[in-house]
Amino acid sequence: MNQAAAREAAPSAASERLLSLEREVRALAERTLEHSSRLDSLAEVVRSAGQSEQLSMVVFSGSLDRLIAAFVLATGAAASGMRVSMFFTFWGTAALRKDRAAVKKTLVERMFGWMLPKGVRKLPLSQMNMAGGGPAMIRYVMKKKGVASLEEMIAMSADLGVEINVCTMSMDLLGLKPEELIDYPGRCFCGVAKFLETAAPGKLTLFL
Amino acid sequence: METIDARGKSCPLPIVIIAKAMKNLLPGQSIAIRADDRAFPEDIRAWCRKMRQELLSLESKGAFFEAVIKKA
Repeated sequence: MNQAAAREAAPSAASERLLSLEREVRALAERTLEHSSRLDSLAEVVRSAGQSEQLSMVVFSGSLDRLIAAFVLATGAAASGMRVSMFFTFWGTAALRKDRAAVKKTLVERMFGWMLPKGVRKLPLSQMNMAGGGPAMIRYVMKKKGVASLEEMIAMSADLGVEINVCTMSMDLLGLKPEELIDYPGRCFCGVAKFLETAAPGKLTLFL
Repeated sequence: METIDARGKSCPLPIVIIAKAMKNLLPGQSIAIRADDRAFPEDIRAWCRKMRQELLSLESKGAFFEAVIKKA
């Protein structure tokens, strides 16, 4: 009698042990999953911390020399692993004009159009402009000394992922339409809030 | 080992060129760059520190500098 009962009990004890083992394995698996997702989120934090080094620039000026300085900084910083964000406003916005673009404008907008430089190639110097003689000389010297031209630096910036934001308020004031500005990958038409959001976490912000 | 020639190119081109070239390397691979920009010795040292890449050597070869960088 007792032997029979023991025989009955043995499998059930074994299956209970199996069940409890299964529960343990499940709990372990769940904890492992939890840990791995925590590791993932930690890795994300580390990754974003590594990328937090950034250079933000307000490009206010529209003269060739200042733009060259801005783009030397931008390409250099991007090549050094920094996120670079440029915010073009006032004369800086006008400097991004294409050589030509046909758009409908009001009289005042057209007048601004006549006075503003037509294209990156037509930018004046902030000093020693000499009615356009200065920029021609600078461009000649730059070419001779192996300095990339402004057009080349803009193309390099695009390649390196430098972000260009254009102030819509200045565009409105100067009567500039989006289709008049140089094509740049991911260019963003925005306002001060967007610039501040981008620049605030960075340690390096310049006004040019 | 590949050698890039950035001679005759001025700041920031040598740095931009090396940054691009490093992307195509596998960790442990090295690359040499030649440049005659006067800022190059200081800039390449700073760039390697900043990007945590190993500057194996930096020599003046008379008319130009040659740096060898190992990808981390």
